[in-house]
Amino acid sequence: MVERRLTCLAVIVLVWGAAILKNLISLQILHHREYAVKARSIQEVEVEIPAPRGTIFDRDGHPLAMSLATRTAFINPMKVDIGVASDLLGYLLHLDRGELYLKIKQAADAHRGYLIVKRQLTAEEYDNLLNLKSRLDWVSLSNQSQRHYPNGMLAAHVLGAVDFEEKGNAGIEKGLDAELRGTPGHIRLLTDVHRRGIAPQTTIPAKPGTSLTLTLDERLQFVAEREIALAVTAHHAVSGSVVVMKPDTGDILAMASYPTFDPNIPVERGEDAQPRMNHAFSVPFEPGSVFKVVTYSAGFETTNLRPETAINCNGGKLTFGIRTIHDSHAGMWVVPAATAFAKSSNIGAIQVGLKVGQVNMHDYMVRLGFGQKTGLPLPGESPGKVYRLERWGKTSLASVSMGQEVSVTTLQLARLASVIATGGLLVKPRLVLKRGDVAEPVAAPVRVLKPENAITMRQMMEGVVLVGTGSRARLAGYSSGGKTGSAQIYDYASKHYTHTYNGSYMGFAPITNPQIVVVVTLNGTHGESGFGGSSAAPVFKVVAGEALRVFDVPKDLPENIPGRTLVASNPEDLNDLAIADLGESRTNILEESEEAESAVVGQAGYPLGPPANLAAPVYGPRPVQTAVPVAQGPPAVAAAPVPARPQGPRVPNFRGMTMRAVLAEAAAKGLSILPDGSGVARVQSPPPGAPLHQGERIRVQFAR
Amino acid sequence: MATLPAFFKKNDSTAGSPRGGDAQTKRIRAVRDPFQLRALPHEHLFLHKKQIDNSRLVREADPKSRGACWSAIGAACVLAVLLTSAFAPSVATTIAGYKLEALRIEERRLLEERRGLELQEAELLSPARLDQLAQQNNLVAPSSGQVFHLEGKPQGAVAMAK
Repeated sequence: MVERRLTCLAVIVLVWGAAILKNLISLQILHHREYAVKARSIQEVEVEIPAPRGTIFDRDGHPLAMSLATRTAFINPMKVDIGVASDLLGYLLHLDRGELYLKIKQAADAHRGYLIVKRQLTAEEYDNLLNLKSRLDWVSLSNQSQRHYPNGMLAAHVLGAVDFEEKGNAGIEKGLDAELRGTPGHIRLLTDVHRRGIAPQTTIPAKPGTSLTLTLDERLQFVAEREIALAVTAHHAVSGSVVVMKPDTGDILAMASYPTFDPNIPVERGEDAQPRMNHAFSVPFEPGSVFKVVTYSAGFETTNLRPETAINCNGGKLTFGIRTIHDSHAGMWVVPAATAFAKSSNIGAIQVGLKVGQVNMHDYMVRLGFGQKTGLPLPGESPGKVYRLERWGKTSLASVSMGQEVSVTTLQLARLASVIATGGLLVKPRLVLKRGDVAEPVAAPVRVLKPENAITMRQMMEGVVLVGTGSRARLAGYSSGGKTGSAQIYDYASKHYTHTYNGSYMGFAPITNPQIVVVVTLNGTHGESGFGGSSAAPVFKVVAGEALRVFDVPKDLPENIPGRTLVASNPEDLNDLAIADLGESRTNILEESEEAESAVVGQAGYPLGPPANLAAPVYGPRPVQTAVPVAQGPPAVAAAPVPARPQGPRVPNFRGMTMRAVLAEAAAKGLSILPDGSGVARVQSPPPGAPLHQGERIRVQFAR
Repeated sequence: MATLPAFFKKNDSTAGSPRGGDAQTKRIRAVRDPFQLRALPHEHLFLHKKQIDNSRLVREADPKSRGACWSAIGAACVLAVLLTSAFAPSVATTIAGYKLEALRIEERRLLEERRGLELQEAELLSPARLDQLAQQNNLVAPSSGQVFHLEGKPQGAVAMAK
């Protein structure tokens, strides 16, 4: 009996064990993979590691654009009870229930399946929704990144903006989007029952976007934007732009454009695109008289033109067949080239241009970077326009010589000014100083002008400030050179030039060792106050003064300027307008497409003015006392006498002085000191009384 | 309504013929306290404790069982040590995993917080805001060469304007 019972029990246990074994085999061997996957899907979660978009800094490391992680709540309006959703979400997310109700209803009526309820959730709001999410399938949460521009509108045109996916849609955000964008990483995380992470199973590390350090200087950018905004408003202009550049490296220190926009505010549908256009970079214009720098540079390079060469300005009027060109300064006859340049004589520039010839003029325009993109990593750059030589008409050379029939950008003008400032080297403008921690190399400059000719142009441009149309750009404590420009704006409808102007000024400072180049352009100014000398030159003065202060450039002139040196103080002296009555109905360069060809090859065969070389050499800023031999007409207008340049600065004697006293004296005299040691000054280099060269620093050794 | 004593009394009456002791107790109680609850079973028995000295009884020494006992204890300890050493790394890994993940979350949070603070700092130091504050306080920008930086480690200002 007992044995039977035991046998039964053994059989039952055996069957039970067999059943367990069978299930174990099924679980662990036959369906192992399937169950393992199921278990993993329950136990593991995939967590995205955010990769923030690269931060953009200015040259001093101040952030201009940066990204922050943000949490966003969104719903599917088609799947919700609008009343419940608005009540619940309004309570949890601290939103107005009425407004939310309307918002959801509108989205549902429009059959939208996606509606962002709130961005930038607080930690509390996020936790509230996270708890709710397991019970309500219509609420979704996402971790996103949001771009912030802490300085608001500052450098908006350079920085650009991003779209809702944080993809660059303008400016450097678009130009270097691939570098700025990061690649998010992923972690497969084993979690416990409370969904707490235990250990990462597989990890793909996040690759944050590369940070960029721009060449911009935040302070200069602010001043440039402030001044151009004031100037545009004061002169009732349509737009304006400023470019500040370091001539030796091509670093763009500021690039301002007005009107402007706030990149923190996303683009609205139907919004006016004008404020988002970078006028310094994307909008070409006829430069007018500032382009005479090209004409004279080509003249110095290819002809026997010198600053003292007499040029017949023909009384301010010149006729080519059916076309008559006027000078804004009536009554100038035979004057030195320096005076014609300083007074911005159109006839003088044409005379020089005719001497240079079409081929050379075209060659130098191309050499100096016109008609080509500068290569900055910004989208939408305009190359400007230079007609191919085959397309030049009979009057093209005359037009180009005074800055018509050519279109340029403010940035290209800054490049031109840099050529003069660097002694004839064409630099490649640079906007990115560092990518991550790697410094961006400076492209080797290309020599386009002979150094002696560039130096001569520099002096000629100084004359513009001292005795010519650029007197309002004169800086306190610094020498500077520049060129004004006032070009009539072409009206596409009437096919004629109007009485609105592009007023511009292109300059650099100090003269002997230029540290900065500033180009200012105002588009759509009116009246005499809209000429470059009146509207743009004062902007140069403020911006260049600030730039020299920021970069601690030693002064090379006394602070107070004697009143008698301000020779060009009346509006007539600031008039540099390029006036041209277009007899032929020629299409303006700004409205022509590149494909529209009218191959007319012109030859330089126009009569030149008397190429009489004067006895005494006369350079731009220097006093012209010589009697100019006049070939015809009334006597020439000579350049006004300018006081002799002060004797060059000398190194003061610091020996025996304390460091504080040395620094105070150096600061008072605008000198740069390299102190070494402590105590009283013992040794200094250069020695006391030695001539102090521009930008030179005085090393002072202190000892006790 | 029947009261509780009445109810118990009723039950007593229906509980069959009382034995002699019970009847006697009831009688005594009835006399002594009519409201006393019914007696517990064997209430009439009284127990008393008697001291028994078993000190003379000594268990016989059994070295075999003692050895077996110690062997069992030793085996249990060895097993415990083995199990501990076998599972300790796994447990330690799990605990470290928790800590690691918590630290990672903390790191990400702190990084985000730092970025937020950097953004806030940049907003506070924006040139437009500083310019506005300067204008409110009637401050002007120093001219070129007016500012020079002080040497050494100054307690307060790092630069001064002459």
